[in-house]
Amino acid sequence: MSKHPHIGRLLFVAAVLGAVFAINVITLNGCDRTQAEKEQSFLQIGDFTIKRINPDLVEARDGAGRILALIPRNTEPPQGYTPDQIVRVPVRSVVAYGNFDVSALRVLGVLEDVLVGVTTPAEQWYLDDVKRGMASGKIVYLGDSRAVDFERLKRQNPELVLTWDHSAIPMLNQLKIPCVITSTPVAMCLNARMRYVQFLAPFFQREPEAEAFFLKVSDSVRVIRDRTANAGAKPKVMWGDIYEKRVLVEPGNAWVGELVGLAQSDYLFEDVYGTSCIEISVERFLHSGDDADILFTYRTADSGATSKAAIARLNPLLAKVKPLIDGKVYAPLPHYVQSGHRLDEILTEIAAILHPECYPNFELRFFEELPDVDPAQKKEQS
Amino acid sequence: MTRLPAIVWRQLGGVRLTVVVLLLLVVDCAMGYWSLRGNNTVFAPLNDVGLFPWARTYGMNDLIHTAWFFTLLALLFILAINTFVCATDRVIALFKSRSRFTRPGRFALKFAPHIMHYAVIVILTGYLSSYLFSDVYPSQTLAPGTAITVPGTRVRLEFLSFDYQYYEGKRLEFFEDRVLSPEARLKLSNGVTERTAAISLNRPVRYEGYGVFMKNFAPKKRGRKNISRPYVEVSIRKDPGVSFYFTGMALFSLGLVMYAYQWLFVKAHGEERQ
Repeated sequence: MSKHPHIGRLLFVAAVLGAVFAINVITLNGCDRTQAEKEQSFLQIGDFTIKRINPDLVEARDGAGRILALIPRNTEPPQGYTPDQIVRVPVRSVVAYGNFDVSALRVLGVLEDVLVGVTTPAEQWYLDDVKRGMASGKIVYLGDSRAVDFERLKRQNPELVLTWDHSAIPMLNQLKIPCVITSTPVAMCLNARMRYVQFLAPFFQREPEAEAFFLKVSDSVRVIRDRTANAGAKPKVMWGDIYEKRVLVEPGNAWVGELVGLAQSDYLFEDVYGTSCIEISVERFLHSGDDADILFTYRTADSGATSKAAIARLNPLLAKVKPLIDGKVYAPLPHYVQSGHRLDEILTEIAAILHPECYPNFELRFFEELPDVDPAQKKEQS
Repeated sequence: MTRLPAIVWRQLGGVRLTVVVLLLLVVDCAMGYWSLRGNNTVFAPLNDVGLFPWARTYGMNDLIHTAWFFTLLALLFILAINTFVCATDRVIALFKSRSRFTRPGRFALKFAPHIMHYAVIVILTGYLSSYLFSDVYPSQTLAPGTAITVPGTRVRLEFLSFDYQYYEGKRLEFFEDRVLSPEARLKLSNGVTERTAAISLNRPVRYEGYGVFMKNFAPKKRGRKNISRPYVEVSIRKDPGVSFYFTGMALFSLGLVMYAYQWLFVKAHGEERQ
């Protein structure tokens, strides 16, 4: 240092300026507040955020980046917000497009009280609460999610609509019904998937229920990590499917990819980044298919995934991937998409599929392993 | 003590400080590269909420991934000061030696590198003012026939129609049936006058000081089942930094032209012999 005294001085100046800047930023955060208050004031869950401005105002940022102001009922709307941004809490009636949103309402313990409309017909529901609600007429099928009957929706008089469909926003604005976009431009990571209920909780003032759910799922993740820590060989996993003209997979940033890595396995689309169910080239899919041990398909038995042979018949290109030749293929059971409230069980089941040696005699409840050929075909062959 | 300001000034304008700051910037940006991977959701709202609200929320909430950004701001601040002091020293020295120049044109050309240095500071100031003082209304969704009014103003945007072309080629199968060049026609009015304009991705519209940017649109593919109803999502922003960018870029271009002229015509002909 003695040979270069200027550099020493300059580094000192830089360090001092950096320290001053850091102190400024910390000061901006407000040193007069307690740590607990700071933690409560802002919560980021992937693209979603919850910001507590004061006891009577919470700002929520939805999946489309829209800001909503959550205020108690019977209070004057705060300045600076347009009418379609105001949501009065606790919300008393909700229309939900997505299965995961309905599951979140169940986690929060408000499903039977608030749900008044869905976009899945009665015969496709597996949740008893929803089936009961539809049978009694409290919950109404509003039409397919791409062709919602907005007149019927209006008659249900919802105070909030949970939707992934951006094109519904202008119509809902006209109807003066606030909405939350619950899909995000980038797939939810594992943490966001686990915490999503904490984003919806302030709308219903059910924060303790959301916190309890998050802790329960966190515990299951910790158990998975511990249980698979010394597992044997890392299985190579792909999650997706080839359709008529499109190849869709779960990207590496999605909760699926993260969970596979956490459970001592290799996710072969780790390098793919973007939205859930992202489209990739068929060549990229087949490239990973050469190495994979396990394939999770999106298709259920209803959509043709009854056996490896059946999947190969649906798309001959898929017959070339290793899991169909000498690996394992798993398909979701029909109720899987409506089981978001059992996320801890789903995560555990995926870990058990990846490492059966760590979960002896595990009984699958959300996925099924596909046989080589359909049972009927096997009978014929025999 | 009277010499202290002069010492500080000299230190701030030194080339060693430039080298150290640039090296630190390289290290910091490398850290930023790793911090940004998979963490876009932390930084994307910076465009919408502004620097200080972002720092107090997203920034402080995830310091492990944002510390490099705060360091970047500090380093750019030091670099801007270093550039200003250094350039100003040279400009003062140049003015002091102006009697050595016989032709005013040649004297003016000597300012070329300093103009470019000042231009960089102006551009950096523009970015800072964008993040500090912009009015942003993010994610405004419009369906054909619907309209929105910018809060607190009489500026109104009505979505008239949506035109797009599909990819018709055969070479890129991946793009088959995809919408290319989406273009939305808007009617813009302020209560007194109105006009129509077309916006598309990378082609915003400016109106009454506001920029209207297309962020998203639907449908993205040719009609088949599960096709979305048409809509466009726009972001509306009033950005005082824009004038700084343009001024900075104009200054930089001027400096570059002057420097190139001097390099090509003056030095090349060996005429500059002062």
